[in-house]
Order: sequence, then structure tokens, then C-alpha cells
Amino acid sequence: MGINRMTKRTEAVEIARAMRTAVRPVDDEVIITHEDVDRARDRIRVSTARAQHSFSSRARLLWLLIGPGVLVMLGENDGPSMLSYAATGAKFGVGFFIPFVVLTFCMAMVVQEMTVRLGAATHRGHAELIFERFGPFWGWFSMIDLAIGNFLTLITEFIAIRAGLGFFGVPPWAAVLSALVILYSALMSHRYWTWERITLAAALFNLVFIPVALLTHPNWPSVGHALLTWKPLPSLSGDTLLIILADIGATVTPWMLFFQQSATVDKGLTTKDIRFGRFDTVLGAVLAMAAAVATILATAPLFAHQMSAENFQAAEFAQALQPLIGRFGASLFALGMVEAGIVASITISTSSAYAFGEVAHRPHSLNLPLAEGKSFYGVLFLCAAAAAAIVLIPGLPLVYVVLVVNVVAVLAMPPALVFLFMLVNDKEIMGDLVSPLWANILSTGVVLVLTTAGVLFGVSVIVPSIFMHLGGN
Amino acid sequence: MVRREEAQLDTSSDQQWILSALEHDQLAKAKKHPIARRRLKGASLFTVSALRIYLLFMMVVVVYQVWISTK
Repeated sequence: MGINRMTKRTEAVEIARAMRTAVRPVDDEVIITHEDVDRARDRIRVSTARAQHSFSSRARLLWLLIGPGVLVMLGENDGPSMLSYAATGAKFGVGFFIPFVVLTFCMAMVVQEMTVRLGAATHRGHAELIFERFGPFWGWFSMIDLAIGNFLTLITEFIAIRAGLGFFGVPPWAAVLSALVILYSALMSHRYWTWERITLAAALFNLVFIPVALLTHPNWPSVGHALLTWKPLPSLSGDTLLIILADIGATVTPWMLFFQQSATVDKGLTTKDIRFGRFDTVLGAVLAMAAAVATILATAPLFAHQMSAENFQAAEFAQALQPLIGRFGASLFALGMVEAGIVASITISTSSAYAFGEVAHRPHSLNLPLAEGKSFYGVLFLCAAAAAAIVLIPGLPLVYVVLVVNVVAVLAMPPALVFLFMLVNDKEIMGDLVSPLWANILSTGVVLVLTTAGVLFGVSVIVPSIFMHLGGN
Repeated sequence: MVRREEAQLDTSSDQQWILSALEHDQLAKAKKHPIARRRLKGASLFTVSALRIYLLFMMVVVVYQVWISTK
């Protein structure tokens, strides 16, 4: 209470100081919206914390500035991603894929850091920048990629929610409806800050896969050996390639670029905050990596027990693990899948709504009251509701959506990355914040890895016999 | 001139602290000003076009893969 009063007093002092400060002369008419007021309040709290130099104020500054990076990384540990990691553990056990997943998160860090810089330097969303800088022709291509990818992914999130809650006997309609209610409740604050904190709290539940992994009593020396040597290597086959692509698609996808940049802008981060934005991204990547590796470790016993997990969905993985880790562990696994689906459905539908608002020049902020942000909230909720409704249609071959969604993400990533690469190296909009050489080398490497993986996947589909000869199966 | 769209902003001092807390181009309405267009040419145009063709081709491959899986 006392601290609260003190903070408020400090903020009031800061506001008074800011009012005394000469305001930048404004030539044009300046219109202040509700969105600006909320963002200004958040910025005042950041300025107040930054003005002090104690350890607690630095910690408070960190608390105020983290968000988009952790959300995007844990949001990407979504339904299909966790299923990919679970399938990886069940199919290949502990080995090559442990360090490989760590590598994919390093790639995600390189890519996402660029969106922080771009958002903080330009105060514009990703879709908006592509449209304005490169024109509607290229802009629409990017939007179509995003819209298709996001919608397919949203469907898989509701599949994960339905399957996860199905483990507890919840009927599909109730599972999907409760997810929509949670998504809607998170939005009801009409305040970016509150939405971010609620979603962050939910996202941290992704770490539930760590206790599940511990319940399987992993062989830590084998894990250490795999991390250092990348061995045992999997045999080269179409299935291996599909898992490689699925694991890459589980960490780097186009919606992440759009979401983190727009969230950085909506949060109001400026160039002064880039260091914290980077920390936020690294923290998110480390947390998400821990959850991803834990999921592989959690399902690795299925490989050790030679259990076939070819067509497993979320509930089947939990059921298969139950004899090994008990009902409690299996329930945690199923709940983890539900959480993954819910958090990703929130972040992915938000990224669609941001992009729509940016392109259609409609207000687009989580700080908007309902009356001012009808189109923003409408798109956000309609995307989620449509995906949820599709999951409830009986007889649809949803399993194929789950299988291809991460592959589609990997394939759509190189064109998206090239635009990001050009924008972040554009001196006219970035000034001194253009990418340094090392970042350009790393991001070019990421584009090459993704394109090569995509081409190999194409070859494995068109000429599958090539991999049979190479892999011996 | 500063115009209000917000009922809470009763005084000009309210408006002033908002303007001092935000960078000018952070204001929602400031985003209406377009960023200059950059024409793609040479290597950039080639790379973007090649990747676009790559993506369209690979989407056909994905559809083909789903089709053979369902058969």
C-alpha cells in the first residue's frame, strides 16, 4: 500500500516534471486519442523507473518493459509446436534433436531481435511498413501469407485445446467455448498493459512441461552428450525431414514477426528501450526452449519403450505417457497442451487484428475502448471464432492441418524474412539502428537454412525414392 | 493546435504531459503520415520475386503431399 502510494507520488512528480519540460513544437494539428493517453501513462511509469538508479528501480524497469518477447516466444510454443516436440521425442528419443531445437531458438532470437529494433525505431507495425515502403503489390502478398498461415495455425490451436481438455472428458463444444471465453476476457480490459500481464501469466504455464519431463526421470548424461555431440543422428528419410521442418516451424514463423513488432509499438517502446527489448526476447527464447526440450524429454520414454506415436494427438500422448508418469503427470501434459493452444490463439488472433488494422488504416491497439476499436476487436474475435467453429465440424480431416501447419510456416518464412531484412537495413527509416554486419550474416544464414530445408522437403515429396536410397529406409 | 478526442483530457496540462511522455510519431494519428515508397530493383527485386515463386511452388507441393496422404 505504502509502496503503491509512493509510486503514485513519484509518477505525479514525473508528470509535473514532464509538464514543465518544453513540449516539442507541433506545427500540425495534434489529435490525442484514448490509445495515446493509456500509452503515455505506461511511458511515464517507464520514465520514472529509468530516472532512478537503485537496483529495485532497474528491476521495476525490466518488469515494465518485458512482454512482447516473452509472449511471442511462449506463444509460439503452441499446440502444433508442442505436438511436434512430443512427436520428436517419441520418434527419435534423446539425441540430435535436443541441440537442434536449441539452434532453432537461437535462429528465432536473431530474427525477433530485428522486429524489436524496427518497431522501436519506426513506431509502425510490420504489415504497415511493408505496405508503405514497398507498396501494396508486395504488401498484399505478405498479408495473404500471414492470413492463411494464421488461420491454419489458429485451427490447430483449437484442435490442441479440444484434444487436451478431451483428456479430462470435456466435450469439444465446451472446450472450444471456454477457450473463446478466456480469449474474450483477456481483451475486456481494453488496456495493452493488463492484456499483456494476463497473457504473460497464462503463457508461463507453458513451463508445466518441465515437471512432466522430470517425472520421466531423464538420463541427464545422455542429454548432456546429445547437447555436446548432436548424437545419435537420425537416419535420413522423408519422416526425419518432416520432423526437422516441423521443429523449425515450431520456433520461427511469420506471425511472430508481425506480432512482436506490433506489440512493441503498442507497448510504446522507444529506441531507449531496445536493450530491454533484446533481453525480453532472449528471456522468452530461453523459457520457450526449456519447455520445448522438456517436451522432447517427456515423450522420449515412448521411444525407449518402442511405442509407435505416428498419429498421436495431444490427448493420445498424455494417455500413452500415463502408465509411465502416472495420472498426475499425464494430466499436466494435457493441461500444457491446452495452455499452449489458448495462449497462441490469443497472440495469433491479435497479430491478425494488428495487421488488418495497419493495412486498412483502422485503429489498431489493445488500448482502444470497444467503441473506438470495433474493427480491431471484431477481426481478432472473428478469426478465433471461425477457427474454433471449424474444429467442431464433424468429419473434417483436421489431422492434415496439424501436419502441414508448421511446414507451411517454414516455407512462408524466407519471403517474410527478406522484407524484414530489407526494412531493418533501410537507413532512411532506421537511421543508426540498421543491422550490424554480424546480424546480417546471421539472418542471411537463417534464410538459407530455411530455404534449404524447404527445398529438401519439396524433393522428399516429389522424389521420395532419393531419401530412401540415401537413408537406407 | 491540440484537439481532444478524449473526455478525460480536461485541461491543456493533461494534453501537455501526454505529448511530453510520447514521441511525436507514437501518437496514433501521427501514423497517418505515409512513409516514402521505395522502389524495389536489381538484386532486391530478383530475390523477392524468386522467393515468391518458390513459396507458390512449395504450396503446390504441400497440397500434393496432403492429397497423397489422404489417398
